[in-house]
Amino acid sequence: MNSTSSDSTRLARVALAMAMVLTLAAGTARAQDDPNPGAVTVTSGIDFPSVYFFRGIRQEADPKLTMFPYGDIGVALYSGDGGIKSAGVNFGIWNSLNTGSSGLDASPKKRIHYEQDFYVSLALGFGGGVTLTPTFTTYTSPNGSFSTVNEILLKVSHASRFAPYGLVAFELSGQADGGADEGTYAEIGVGPSWPLGSRGATVAIPVKLGFSLSNYYELGDSDNKFGYVDGGVLFTMPFSTAPTKFGSWNIHGGVNFLGLGDTTKFFNDGDAGQVIGTVGIGMSY
Amino acid sequence: MLVSLAAGPAAAQTPDSPGQPSDPNTGALTVTSAVDFPSVYFFRGIRQEADPKLTTFAAGDVGISLFSGDGGLKSASLNVGVWNSLHTGTSGTGTPDTRSHYEEDFYASLSLGFGGGVTVTPTFTAYTSPNGFFGTVQELSFKVAHASRFAPYALVAQELKGQADGGSNKGTYGELGVAPSWAIPGSAVTFAVPVKVGLSLKDYYETSGTDNKFGYVDVGVLLTVPFTGIPSNFGSWNVHGGVNVLGFGDTTKSFNNGDAGQVVVSGGIGMSY
Repeated sequence: MNSTSSDSTRLARVALAMAMVLTLAAGTARAQDDPNPGAVTVTSGIDFPSVYFFRGIRQEADPKLTMFPYGDIGVALYSGDGGIKSAGVNFGIWNSLNTGSSGLDASPKKRIHYEQDFYVSLALGFGGGVTLTPTFTTYTSPNGSFSTVNEILLKVSHASRFAPYGLVAFELSGQADGGADEGTYAEIGVGPSWPLGSRGATVAIPVKLGFSLSNYYELGDSDNKFGYVDGGVLFTMPFSTAPTKFGSWNIHGGVNFLGLGDTTKFFNDGDAGQVIGTVGIGMSY
Repeated sequence: MLVSLAAGPAAAQTPDSPGQPSDPNTGALTVTSAVDFPSVYFFRGIRQEADPKLTTFAAGDVGISLFSGDGGLKSASLNVGVWNSLHTGTSGTGTPDTRSHYEEDFYASLSLGFGGGVTVTPTFTAYTSPNGFFGTVQELSFKVAHASRFAPYALVAQELKGQADGGSNKGTYGELGVAPSWAIPGSAVTFAVPVKVGLSLKDYYETSGTDNKFGYVDVGVLLTVPFTGIPSNFGSWNVHGGVNVLGFGDTTKSFNNGDAGQVVVSGGIGMSY
């Protein structure tokens, strides 16, 4: 691909990790048998999508087995009653291992490690459930499929029924679209979820829209403003109803439906839509 | 480096005692991480950068305590982690159009604790070079260690794919070592004197068609000072530093520009949680 990195799944996992850290920082009561009541939280998992899209940009022409393993360390730095209610820092890595045309099946042959991202973020919790999160991410390609992209992102989210958020990301070096200029990306979304039954299962309906504010979805001489719309359904089933000494584990799976703009449609071999199925295992501790 | 990270989760399960801060992590997972800054990077005696500038080792490990019991097998734990080397010298950004990420290793190990303080640890490691300086090396190693005053150990590693020496055949590496340490009276500082010898059991130190059996000897001193000002709910932190003196065999000497010895100075920060 001509592009870069991470994906909605990754951002969702990072957001989950940051939310956990903020929950800790805010001093929310946790189960008394929580083996880890300290300030450090580990989040990890592996996902298996049917094909890898990053912000609507297709990353592999002919996928086979695609794997997203990731790990995150969150540190709850502060909690208080002032203007800033909580602060937490997260850092971690996110990987894409591809056995299809962006990895082992590439011609000439490439290594499996298509992408590795490193990030650090600072989540600041304010009153009313508002959280502001600046994040620096460097998107790299160990198998050389794309050049490194460095990005700084600002996200505002609101802890409420529909969990709305908005983010703006600025490319500092490199480009996701492989275009002529570094771009600015914007995304708005919601992520409502509901419990299913009494065993802790949940269903979520994440919906988001991705836009180019400047040069993010370049195609020829055009910067197409609309990037993509992504509506999904995600089921999460915990392995146990309470944390164990091994943490909290879950199995999850879902389907995402993408509608693509002109640039992302071009990268998708002319198809204006795409269905992506994903399953995975996650843990937090 | 991997060995020091994979120290295992036992510390997290030590019962609290009066006067000691409570352990914030009583479960089965342990996180260990470190950043180190060596003056130059040698891997098993093989020099990895001709002209170093800032070299940074960043590592992270998650250990899972799987089992403990009173039978023949006393304990079992699994560790997974990554180890990275970032270079601004000639193996990294000091070379035009080259990224800093010289090396990234992924590993998984299973530590099996037996009676008498004996631990057997098979480890699979994939050594990769994101900036393309070397081809991926995959290795399976077995380590036997004894928890005693001198902490002796022996390790055998078999290359499954690729080669550390860039030679013509996959190699088998052997290492013997000790790592005694002492607490400095009246302080929380520890002082260790690790010593190890690296050998080629077969084709590990190849040069010009010859497999030199002696790889290197490494003698070091290491001071570790715990941070006492960090609240215990952030885990245990330390600053550490030391000096290693290396003596080389013929192959590693040739990789070191003909010098038979090398002094490596290193300092860093570590944490476990």
